[in-house]
Amino acid sequence: MSLEQQMLTALVVDFPFEWNYIRSIVRVSLYVSLTAVALSTLLSLPVALLVGFKEFRGKTLLTSIINTGMGFPSVVVGLVVLFAVSNQGPLGSFDLVFTTEAMILSQIVLAAPVITGVSLAAVSSVEQNVRDAAYAMGGTNLDVALVTIKEARYGIATAVLAGFGRAISEVGSVLIVGGNIASSDGTSVTRTITTAIQLEARQGRFETAMILGAILVVLVLLVNAIVVRLGSGGGRYG
Amino acid sequence: MTIQRREFLSVLGGGVAVGLAGCTGADDSDGPEISGETLTLTTTTSTYDTGLLDELNAPFEDRYGVTVDAVAQGTGAALRTARDGDSDVVMVHARSLEDEFMEEGYGVNRRDLMFNDFVIVGESDDPADVEGEDDAAAAFEAIAEAEATFVSRGDESGTHTKELEIWDETGLTVEEFGEWYLDGGGGMGETLNTANLDGGYTLVDRGTFLDMRDEIDLELLVEGPVEGGSEMLMNPYGIVAVNPAVHDNVNYDLAMAYIGYITSLEGQEIIEEYRSNDEQLFFAEALSEDPNFRQYLPEGWERSSDD
Amino acid sequence: MTLEAIDVHHSYGYETVFEGVSLSVTPGEVVAIIGPSGVGKSTLLRLLALFDAPDDGAIVYDDDPVWEVSDQRRLEYRRRIGMVFQDASLFDASVRRNAEYGLRVRQSWRERLRHELGGLVGKENGTGAAVDALETVGLREQAEQDASSLSGGEAQRVAFARALAYDPDVLLLDEPTSDLDPRNTAVLEDAVLEARDRDIGVVIATHDMHQAERIADRVGVLLGDEIIEVGPTERVFEDPVDDRTRKFISGELIY
Repeated sequence: MSLEQQMLTALVVDFPFEWNYIRSIVRVSLYVSLTAVALSTLLSLPVALLVGFKEFRGKTLLTSIINTGMGFPSVVVGLVVLFAVSNQGPLGSFDLVFTTEAMILSQIVLAAPVITGVSLAAVSSVEQNVRDAAYAMGGTNLDVALVTIKEARYGIATAVLAGFGRAISEVGSVLIVGGNIASSDGTSVTRTITTAIQLEARQGRFETAMILGAILVVLVLLVNAIVVRLGSGGGRYG
Repeated sequence: MTIQRREFLSVLGGGVAVGLAGCTGADDSDGPEISGETLTLTTTTSTYDTGLLDELNAPFEDRYGVTVDAVAQGTGAALRTARDGDSDVVMVHARSLEDEFMEEGYGVNRRDLMFNDFVIVGESDDPADVEGEDDAAAAFEAIAEAEATFVSRGDESGTHTKELEIWDETGLTVEEFGEWYLDGGGGMGETLNTANLDGGYTLVDRGTFLDMRDEIDLELLVEGPVEGGSEMLMNPYGIVAVNPAVHDNVNYDLAMAYIGYITSLEGQEIIEEYRSNDEQLFFAEALSEDPNFRQYLPEGWERSSDD
Repeated sequence: MTLEAIDVHHSYGYETVFEGVSLSVTPGEVVAIIGPSGVGKSTLLRLLALFDAPDDGAIVYDDDPVWEVSDQRRLEYRRRIGMVFQDASLFDASVRRNAEYGLRVRQSWRERLRHELGGLVGKENGTGAAVDALETVGLREQAEQDASSLSGGEAQRVAFARALAYDPDVLLLDEPTSDLDPRNTAVLEDAVLEARDRDIGVVIATHDMHQAERIADRVGVLLGDEIIEVGPTERVFEDPVDDRTRKFISGELIY
C-alpha cells in the first residue's frame, strides 16, 4: 500500500469500502473527462483553424456560437443532452440515459467551445509568413495546418487544459445525464468526483467530501503539470 | 441495448473511447441470459441517502447476476424519468403522484413496500409552541400563525407533496405566505441544513432526520405515527414497474423480478432489520395475510370508473 | 527546369499590380529583379511560387502551364521550388528541424510519424541533405540550437539552407539580404553562386543594385506594372535600352 493510500485509509477507517469507492469515482471522472476532452480537441482544432484562416459564409455566426458556448451553463447543457438521449429523444434508441457515454457527450458540448475558443486565439497569433514558409517548402494545406498547430502548441495546451478544467469540475450536466450512480458494493458507475462531493455533502459526510475535493484539486494541478510538461517537451527548441 | 451503445461509441469517435472503455468496468458484459443486464431504478433521495438500497440491492444482484443502477432523484423527477421510459422501476413515496402515474398508463403492478413517518423538527426554543402536538395540521397552523420560519423542500418530492397535503388540510394557501416561508430548493439534507442555519421548522422524514441528527441542532417536536404521533405524517413507500406496453425498451422482466424480490420475505426482512445509528428507519409493509387490493389500484379508482 | 511567367496580368482588389509581365529563368542562371520597393517584386515571386494563380497569363514550368494541370501534378511542380523570404520565418524548433522541413513533407506519413515520435523521446535521426545544406551556409555547428536563439543573419542563412536542403530546381529569393549586415550578406551571396554552380536556377528580388551587379547573370527591371527591360546584367547596367532604367540606376528616378 502506498503512502497516500495509507493516509486515505487512515482518514476513512469508519467506512470499509471507502478507498475502493473513491478510486472508482476518480476512475470514472478521469475516463469521462479525458475522453470528452480528447474528442473535443479532435473536433475543435479543425474548427479553430477553419475560423482562423478561411473565409466562409456563417463564420460570424459560428464565432458567436463558440463565444456563447464558452460560458454556457452546464445544467442547461445537461438538460439539452438529457432530452437528446432520453428514450423519447432523437438519440433515444441508443439507450444512453444514465451512462458514461451520455456524460461524455454533455462534457464534449461543454469543453469543445472552450477548447475551440482558446485554440482560435492561439492559432490566429501564428504569423502568416511562417505559414507561407511551410507552403513554399512544398507543404500541402494539411502541412500548413500542422505547422500552425505546432507553432501554437502552448496556446493549444492551454486550451486543452481549460477544457479539461471545465469538464472535470462541472457538476450540473453529469448529474442530470449520468444520474450519479454507484453500485451496491460501492463502485462508481456514473458517479464523478463532483457529483460525489455533492452527494456526500448532502448526506453530511463532509470528511469524505473534503477528501474528494482535495483529490479534485490535486488532479487538476497534476494534469496541468503534465500538459505544461508535454508542451515544453514538444518545444525543447522554443 | 448493449450492442447499440457500442455502436454509438464507435460513432462518437472510435479509438479513444473504445480504448478507454475498459476503465469503466461494470456494465458491459455479454450474454444472452438475464445475467449481465442492468435494471435502472429511479427512487427518492430518502431511500438512497439512508443507505438502505445498497443493503437491498446487493443480494438481488448476486442472485441474478445483474446490476441495479439506482438513481436518486426527487419523487417528481423519478416519476418523470420513468414516464419517459428512461427507467425500469420506480420506488417513491407520494401516493397521489403514483396514482396519477398509473392512471396515465405509465406504471403497472404497484405494490405497497414499506413505510416510515415524517416528523416536524425545529429549534429547541420552539417559537410557535408546537412541541408535543399530535395533529400535524394544527402544528402547521400554529407555525403559520406565529409566522415562524418554515423551510419547504419546494421540489415536488414526496416530502414536499406531503407538506402541501398538510397545508391543504389547514385550509391555508401556500402562495399567500410571507417571507417566513422559505423554499429550500434541494434535497432533504440541504433543506435540513437550511432550516438549521435559518433556525426554522421543517417537515422531514424520520430516517433522514435520525441520520443527520448529530450534525444539526434541530429538535424533533411533532412525532409521526411510528411513535404514536399524528397519523397524517404517515410516509408510505410504493414500488411500480414501468408499463412495457408504453415503453417497449424497458426491462420489464427484471423490474418484476426486482419487485418480487423486494416484497418477498427476504427483502422485507432486510428492510425491517436495517438500522442506521441503531435506529430502525423503515417498516416493512408488503407482507400481509389479509387481502390488500388497494395497493394495486389508484385510490378511489372503483368510484371513478363504474362502467 | 525552366520557370516562366508569360504575359501575366494580376491585381489585388481594384489595384492592378501587373499588366503583361513576362520573365523566365533557366537552370544554372541567376536572374535579379530590381525595382523600387512596393512595385510588386514579392507579388511576382509569389506568383512564380504558385501561392496564387494570376488573373491572366500563365506560369509555365518546363512548357507546362501549371494552373491547367491536376492538383497533384501542380504540387509536384511546386515541390521543385525553394523560397526564402525577407524575414527568415523560421519554425519554432531546432535549426536542424527547420532545415529538414522540406524533406519531411515529402516523406510518407509513416516516416513522418516515426520521426515525430522519435523526436518526443529525444531520439533524433538527422538526414544528410539537411546537414549538408547547413554546411553550405556555415551553420552546421549550430544544428541542435533553437532557431529562436540565432541572430537575424544566422536565421536568414538557416532559411536559405531550409530551401536548399531538398535540392530544388529553382530558388526564389525575396529581398533575402535587405535586413542583413555585410558579412551575412556575403555568406548568402556565396551560397547563391554555389547553388547556381549546382545548376539551380535562381530568381532574386532586390532593391540593392550592387547586389544584382555582383551575382546576377540577367536583370529584369520592374517599374510601374510591367518589366520595362530584361537583359544581361552588364548590358542593362552599362547600356540600358529604356531611358527609365538609366534614370532608376543612376538614382534620378525616385519612388
